[in-house]
Amino acid sequence: MSEQSARLVRTLLLIFLGLWLILTLFPLYWQFITAFKSAAETNRTIPTFWPEVWHFENLAAVFAERTNFDALVDSFIIATGNTVASLVLGTLAGYAFARFPRQAGGENLAFWILSNRMFPPVAVLVPMFFLFDAMPWGTDSHLSLIILYLVFNMPLATWLMMVFFRDAPRELEEAAYLDGYTPLRAFIKVTLPLVLPGMISVAMLCWIFAWNEYLFANLFVGTKVRTFTIVIPTFTHGSQTLWNLQMAFSMIAMLPPVALFILLRRYMVRGLSLGVVKG
Amino acid sequence: MASIRLAQVNKIYRSRGHAVHAVKDLDLTVEDGEFVAILGPSGCGKTSTLRMIVGLEEITSGDIFFDDRRVNDLDPQARNVAMAFETYALYPSFTIEENLSFPLEVRGVPAAERRKKVHDLAALLRIEDILGQKPAALSGGQQQRVSLGRALIRDPAVFILDEVMSHIDAHLKLQMLFELKRIHQELGKTMIYVTHDQVEALALADRVAVMSHAALQQVGTRNELYHEPVNVFVADFIGEPPTNFFPAELDAGDDQPFLRAKNAALTFAVPVERARRLAAGGRRDYVVGLRPQNLHLDGAESGAAPAGGMLTAEVAINEYVGERTILTLVADGHRFRAQAHAETSFGRGERVCLRYASSDVMVFDAETEALIA
Amino acid sequence: MARLRIEGLCKGWDFPVIDNLDLTVEEGEFFVVVGPSGIGKTTLLRLIAGLESADAGRIAIGDHDITNLPPYKRPVAMTFESYALYPHLSVFENIASPLRARRLDAAAIRATVTEVAKLLRIEALLDRRPGEISGGQKQRTALGRTLVAKPQVFLLDEPISHLDAKIRHDLRLQFHALEELRRVATLYVTHDYVEALSLGDRIGVMGRGGLVQIGSARDVFLRPRSLFVAEHLGQPAINAVAARLTGEGTALHVRAGNSGFGFPVVAAHAAALARGDIQRVTVGIRPQHVKVLRNGEDAPGHHVIDGRVEIYEALGANGVLVADAGGVNLTALTSPERDFTHRQPVRLALQTDAVFYFHAESGDNLLL
Repeated sequence: MSEQSARLVRTLLLIFLGLWLILTLFPLYWQFITAFKSAAETNRTIPTFWPEVWHFENLAAVFAERTNFDALVDSFIIATGNTVASLVLGTLAGYAFARFPRQAGGENLAFWILSNRMFPPVAVLVPMFFLFDAMPWGTDSHLSLIILYLVFNMPLATWLMMVFFRDAPRELEEAAYLDGYTPLRAFIKVTLPLVLPGMISVAMLCWIFAWNEYLFANLFVGTKVRTFTIVIPTFTHGSQTLWNLQMAFSMIAMLPPVALFILLRRYMVRGLSLGVVKG
Repeated sequence: MASIRLAQVNKIYRSRGHAVHAVKDLDLTVEDGEFVAILGPSGCGKTSTLRMIVGLEEITSGDIFFDDRRVNDLDPQARNVAMAFETYALYPSFTIEENLSFPLEVRGVPAAERRKKVHDLAALLRIEDILGQKPAALSGGQQQRVSLGRALIRDPAVFILDEVMSHIDAHLKLQMLFELKRIHQELGKTMIYVTHDQVEALALADRVAVMSHAALQQVGTRNELYHEPVNVFVADFIGEPPTNFFPAELDAGDDQPFLRAKNAALTFAVPVERARRLAAGGRRDYVVGLRPQNLHLDGAESGAAPAGGMLTAEVAINEYVGERTILTLVADGHRFRAQAHAETSFGRGERVCLRYASSDVMVFDAETEALIA
Repeated sequence: MARLRIEGLCKGWDFPVIDNLDLTVEEGEFFVVVGPSGIGKTTLLRLIAGLESADAGRIAIGDHDITNLPPYKRPVAMTFESYALYPHLSVFENIASPLRARRLDAAAIRATVTEVAKLLRIEALLDRRPGEISGGQKQRTALGRTLVAKPQVFLLDEPISHLDAKIRHDLRLQFHALEELRRVATLYVTHDYVEALSLGDRIGVMGRGGLVQIGSARDVFLRPRSLFVAEHLGQPAINAVAARLTGEGTALHVRAGNSGFGFPVVAAHAAALARGDIQRVTVGIRPQHVKVLRNGEDAPGHHVIDGRVEIYEALGANGVLVADAGGVNLTALTSPERDFTHRQPVRLALQTDAVFYFHAESGDNLLL
């Protein structure tokens, strides 16, 4: 490659990166400034790109109703409950698919489980609604959403965990058997620690999906249980949308996933096998 | 066709604040058509060196020249280097012929020319009879040759092989090494072979470059490395079984100076000239190196040079390994090895006498570990 | 403590890997299985360890039939070719693993691990992770893990094959010196005949389906039962020459090649060969029994033939010379100090009383 064409490629790359940066950062910037505007300023025909007056009180205003804070708690319960359930089921199923493919139904069954993820969500919506309505806990409960989100998260968790288990050297488990561990103890002592970084990544994906989900939450819950996603559209004044409060609330709701990511990042990037097999 | 020259090449990996100096001030010239092996233990920097030559790794400082052209900033394709890995991926659904002709097809070489090239190469590699087969049907040795073929078909100027033999069974290896050597002689291409196995390096290469701790220790032919190792590392690394080392000090002696193993009654005769020079040098601590091949059991032919010395020792382990017997001996707290005839039947606890020629005694400076000539 | 007994063991997938194998390894015996890669050596170990289940046959340790026991109930310990160290645990915890499995108390574990680590000279590494130690150290850690288990049978799978030559020498000595391994039944698997000959009290050479010869180091090297055994043991590999036996006058001669390679069969061999009416044989000549004569040197008791140098390489410990001798390529071992040039004429002295004769088809040693 000549020097000149190399420079051209570099320039094009920079332009592309710049555009991409703008594309991703602009919504965040817009959310941020809108959150601190007055309601009037958000509705101007010609938008302002910097708040004229910073209304920090917007952050407190969203919690004027205590139930709005409860919605964050409900979301947290549902996301965490679903993540735990997805991980437990996905880990066990993924292990079975990775280690005993024949007994577990083979590649076909594993793929079928993943393909569940490809359903258009609305396809399961109506039957699920009637099903859950007939259950003792009803549709408007933490449990209903926790179970419902398994439709999406469990296939993902199963598939990813299967891949991680396949990458974990089988010989390590066998070495543990020969050390005298039963299969269950070998699984806990040797195999799980090896796939832990993968598990944490899977947990993050599941948790963030469940945290952000809107469509099902909007239809299933709303009275006894409310997730923050269905609370956001309720910030209105008559027919007027209170953009500033919606943005302020969604900004607050973004904090837990961001905090989670920062907290767990170093476990996620750690390599799977730290020099298990000879160089 | 190209010669390769590395001039003061350095490679420093930086990650998270600390730097690893993987290759230090490396100077190495590979002549056009020469076969050079880079030999060293794992982590000595040989793979980094090779990756810089190929162009897969940036050069931290220094220059690499192909002929007289500086290639530091050239992409691997532009350098016209081919590299064969230990496990070269072959397309499982293609026949061997298709596998070999694929790189040509990608370049738009016409079919007739492709066929001719593949068949010429197959004849050279002696794989004509398996061209119609799929990779899965091949033996390890055949796969190895096809892999070489995959790299050679592009007709590179420089050919680089990275540990390509390390998983070949020992009893097949020597034949395959000779085969590779023959291929090199017929092609006349510049080749660099990277390995940690001295047998591979010595069997293949015109010259061997020994690396350790990121630095080149010595470049030379087998005889140079074997008889005049520049330091303890090279003396230890080249030769099998490994060289015996004894920390020693100089004893003025009654008529001429000699070396005495530390804290032991073992003494080593050195040629008179050298002993005088050692005495004149005023150094105190030495390391004596003696190869197991140069320790002859008493009674066995003791070589041409009768001037030498003798060690008595007790046999600790007798290892019969078919063509020869390796004795592990203990004398006055020092443990060392001697190589003897296969029929040697001395067992554990027996005392033996070993003779050596004083010209075979290597003396190193204990501090710098450098050979004292 | 007990002997390992294997009877009629069979295991196969698409084709039989182990076919009706019988083997007894005595208490205190160090038994080495040597054979080419992929022949089923590791499968044999895995069957004994219980990591594979046998298609047929019986495995017993002492009087105890373990054929159907799961691996964690078998009194065996095994090192893996890949070492299989737990990457997330320290060297200490890796070695302690079998003791933790038995839920021993912390003080006992510490004492045992420290003792074994001292024995293997890895005390200084106990806090490191497997990713931070060298190949030889990993090997010792893996060995330590099996030693603390105090098993009745040790299974060692290619423990040192992938290490540098120098470390291999040192670790071979370690296997000679470790008393623990010499007290119980040990089965050691390798593809390297040097390791096998050096270490084995007895050696089993593995070919297709099972062990083709069992014996001491000198048995298998000096009296190979078949060409396969002879070819597998020895570096460079034995010269295998397809030849004819012809009666010339009163004596039996070997003839091969197109330009007169041949030598008279020594009387002792001729007697053995005369028993069967055999014309075509494969002659096996070990490279160390082909002496490259110096100028004016003669070799009494040898048969001298002329040849030309094809390849010569001086390696570390010896030189290897391939010569064209009357249309036959012969490999000879020489001193590494000698030098030869391509096509140089040489005189080769064959030690004809050390030559093997194998059946041309079956490969059986005709002298046994």
